[in-house]
Amino acid sequence: MSNATRPSEEQLKYASVLQTVSLGGLFVLIAGFVVYLSGLFPSIVPVSRIPEYWGLRVHEFVEKTGMPVGWKWVSFLNHGDMMSYLGIVLLAAATLLCFLVVIPSFAKKKDTPYVVIIIIQILVLLLAASGVISGGH
Amino acid sequence: MVCKWRKLFRVLLFMTTALVFMGLDPVLAAESAASQGGSTFAWWMWPLILFVFTFLLGIIAVVAGVGGGVLFVPIVSSFFPFNLDFVRGAGLLVALTGALSAGPGLLRRGLANLRLALPMALIASTCSIFGAMVGLALPTNVVQTALGATIIGIVVIMAISKRSDFPEVKKADALSSALKITGIYYEESLGREVNWQIHRTPAGLALFILIGFMAGMFGLGAGWANVPVLNLILGAPLKISVATSVFLLSITDTAAAWVYINKGAVLPLIAVPSVAGMMLGTRIGVKILAKAKPKAVKWIVVGFLFLAGLRALLKGLGIWG
Repeated sequence: MSNATRPSEEQLKYASVLQTVSLGGLFVLIAGFVVYLSGLFPSIVPVSRIPEYWGLRVHEFVEKTGMPVGWKWVSFLNHGDMMSYLGIVLLAAATLLCFLVVIPSFAKKKDTPYVVIIIIQILVLLLAASGVISGGH
Repeated sequence: MVCKWRKLFRVLLFMTTALVFMGLDPVLAAESAASQGGSTFAWWMWPLILFVFTFLLGIIAVVAGVGGGVLFVPIVSSFFPFNLDFVRGAGLLVALTGALSAGPGLLRRGLANLRLALPMALIASTCSIFGAMVGLALPTNVVQTALGATIIGIVVIMAISKRSDFPEVKKADALSSALKITGIYYEESLGREVNWQIHRTPAGLALFILIGFMAGMFGLGAGWANVPVLNLILGAPLKISVATSVFLLSITDTAAAWVYINKGAVLPLIAVPSVAGMMLGTRIGVKILAKAKPKAVKWIVVGFLFLAGLRALLKGLGIWG
């Protein structure tokens, strides 16, 4: 790869963080799922009972099972189903972490438009992740 | 990198074996069937079928050159007993995981472009949040009908849209010049480096409002829309468009996925076998691709997608099932 075609420093940094976090997230996702299936830990909804509910709309599912919504799952991390959830959350957080890591590189180059774009993007993702905004019932 | 993938493969293999063993345990099977009021299918059968199904879907998606995310939601919602809310949640995770896995390599090779992706991603991800909110608020039959109509629209786009390897961009527009959206990459088929720039940036950004909204509302990967906009509207070379589209999904789908996660619409029992099956299938599909006839497979998949779209439409209208 010549110097001309070499990706920018911030692009390479983004790629590196993305790879680390997403591989870690995948590992946690699958490990958590195996723990969930094994029944080693108690579950809010036992895995064998999920089929009774998976035909329901999500708000009905939450009402009937008492499944925690928003970030309440954190306080149930000793439950098998929530361990499985941890991997999902890590995967969803990967992009956010990448932006936080690359923003100093853009700032160092005084690339103001992209610093602004990334800050707004981080705020959008934080807003989505916060659970403040939600749809449905 | 190869070593990491081998490890991941082993973990997936372990999970599959665990599922198969559970499937062979008659006591567990009997208990499961009993807990479901005597249903002929034990609880673990559906995730196992889902895993095998998404594994095959992953192979077909690669060979046909169609995104797995766009196939997942219409087909799984048509043929599996899960509510559309959970299928869309899992669909987003499937598309997101695929994009997260492919993203680093594409960025390192300079095919996905961060400067091109970020402005588009900001618009698309913001709108995907609204799409997710609307999708979870509307009645299932309305979403199902809209999904069916959208899938049929996607089939039409796939059938008629033409792609251009190297679109001619005589002059970059003011916005893309201000944002310095330009690049250079090595094109193997030509054996030389290719410079590229884009035009019609405001029109492209406007289209990403719609793309983001639909991705969030239906839990679909949006490669079917990203690529034509990046390639035909903005004028990015095809390879840059395809790679940047994949990377874009990692941001767009992340925003929508958070809405589904916070509402409890991502069920591990549906999402994890789907992600594992799709990732494994995609890797096998890449190996099969060298020997397959992609065009024939593509038309079979497009036909199947049309049927799934039609089924979703008729299901939503209460005509079929």
